[in-house]
Amino acid sequence: MGPVIITESLTKNYKSKVVVNHLDLRVPGGSIYGFLGPNGAGKSTTLKMLLGLVKPTAGSMTILGKEVNSKNRLGILAATGSLIESPAYYGHLSGKENLQIICTLKNLPESEIPRVLHIVRMKEQQNKKVSQYSLGMKQRLGLAAALLGNPKILLLDEPTNGLDPAGIQEMRELICSLPKAFGITVLISSHLLSEIDQMATHVGIINQGELIFQDSLSVLHEHSRSRLFLRTSDDQTAFRYLKHSGLPAEWRNGALTLRTSEDNRVMQAVSLLVNSGIGILRLEEHQMSLEDIFLHLTGKQVSL
Amino acid sequence: MNSVFWQQMRAEKLKARHKKAILVPLGFLGFQILWAVWQVSSLKPQELPDGYMMFLYQLPPMNAIMLPLMLSVIASKICDMEVKGDTLKILFTLQKRTGFFDCKYLTCIKYLLVFVAGQGIMLPALGTIYHFGSLKISLYLLYLLVTFTVSAVILCIQQFLSLISENQLLPLGIGLAGCFLGLFSMFFPAPAARLILWGYYSVFSCVGMNWDSEINKILGYYEIPFPTVSFLMFLAAGALIYLICRTVIQKKEV
Repeated sequence: MGPVIITESLTKNYKSKVVVNHLDLRVPGGSIYGFLGPNGAGKSTTLKMLLGLVKPTAGSMTILGKEVNSKNRLGILAATGSLIESPAYYGHLSGKENLQIICTLKNLPESEIPRVLHIVRMKEQQNKKVSQYSLGMKQRLGLAAALLGNPKILLLDEPTNGLDPAGIQEMRELICSLPKAFGITVLISSHLLSEIDQMATHVGIINQGELIFQDSLSVLHEHSRSRLFLRTSDDQTAFRYLKHSGLPAEWRNGALTLRTSEDNRVMQAVSLLVNSGIGILRLEEHQMSLEDIFLHLTGKQVSL
Repeated sequence: MNSVFWQQMRAEKLKARHKKAILVPLGFLGFQILWAVWQVSSLKPQELPDGYMMFLYQLPPMNAIMLPLMLSVIASKICDMEVKGDTLKILFTLQKRTGFFDCKYLTCIKYLLVFVAGQGIMLPALGTIYHFGSLKISLYLLYLLVTFTVSAVILCIQQFLSLISENQLLPLGIGLAGCFLGLFSMFFPAPAARLILWGYYSVFSCVGMNWDSEINKILGYYEIPFPTVSFLMFLAAGALIYLICRTVIQKKEV
């Protein structure tokens, strides 16, 4: 399926500060697109621009094949659901009454409510006041509201923020089930690689407002595959031997590394060095963190 | 009015459930009724025929003292839920921002209408019970029109403040300050009084009083010609205020 969300040079400036810089998103239909980036990278602003909550300074957006403008915005957004930052709710009303308001505004029959409550597993709590809900329940209610009307696209901004581990797991399972069960494309933002890793099929990485990576998760894994750090009795000589033998050795930050974790290649490298009279002192596997990936992709250190 | 408008109005009605906002105008009205009964009970029998004129003279300053607070409480009750629940980010993906502001305003106006209608019933009811004599319909209708119009403009500002304020203390504080300003503006020089929105209840009053300061006695009440041009200018200024408030909300990023 082709992309259902396309942005062309989407830009947002606040005075002289560029928050989102010429962003070209491509969200494939039927995917779970993880929008990854450190806090303040421009993720929420991008999602808000897609939803018309923030006006772009420049650029264009196409959702479900239609270029979004101020006239057709609401019509296009009728086919989307969203959950931005903290959950939105009327605390003095029950969960069901909250959903009745959304149904009214979306012009949907109230018979939709039991269906979405069933999806988010909140039938039992529907008549309780939302002010008495836990954060996890509020997030699930927000998701239920977003699911009203069978949207084709769901935009979720850090939906697991503030949830306990059980709540995170539950939310994750819910989100993962949506594309298969209902054919929904999910665009989900997060600052946690591990979270996106467990949910997404595609990934876009944003840093300081710029998209620095966009592809499938498997391609990202190529960037993030683990490395072996080697400490030997003579690292410089060991590096030369390994390079000469065609093994993927690298000299990074004054340390010898092997860009592989395949057993055969590791065995080959160790045998070579030992047979050459070089003693192996340490052999450590390092999984690349998001910081490392950023460093790898941008060449700049980033604090998450 | 199209179906989208009625959907939005229905949504506002659903939101207002359990808020018991109707108690606000009813409470203020109840207080005014008690005050009015106390006023009548202090009248001498020969003063009763002037009862209507007395109330048409005394109610505008009374409204200037009470209504700014009532309007700020109404607006706060109806708008606070959107601020507290951070709901604008979902509502603005479902409805036009201008539609949201208009429907919110009409919902608040409903409560104002309850109060004005209550006053409209209170006056003739008191007159009938206490035998005030005849009520001049034009004065009575002008009084209700002025009460509603001035309140509607204040309500627009209060709604705007309630929607943009994270904390409702600011709009409520402004409402309270409006009560004092409205009252004190009656003692300001006329050009300065014109600058105080909350004082317009008295500016458009159609009844004046002859007061004899030597004997400290009310000599009687008289009609003041209604300042139609000023009123129309006030209406135009009110419409402009409404458009400005609505445009700011329309442009607001959430």
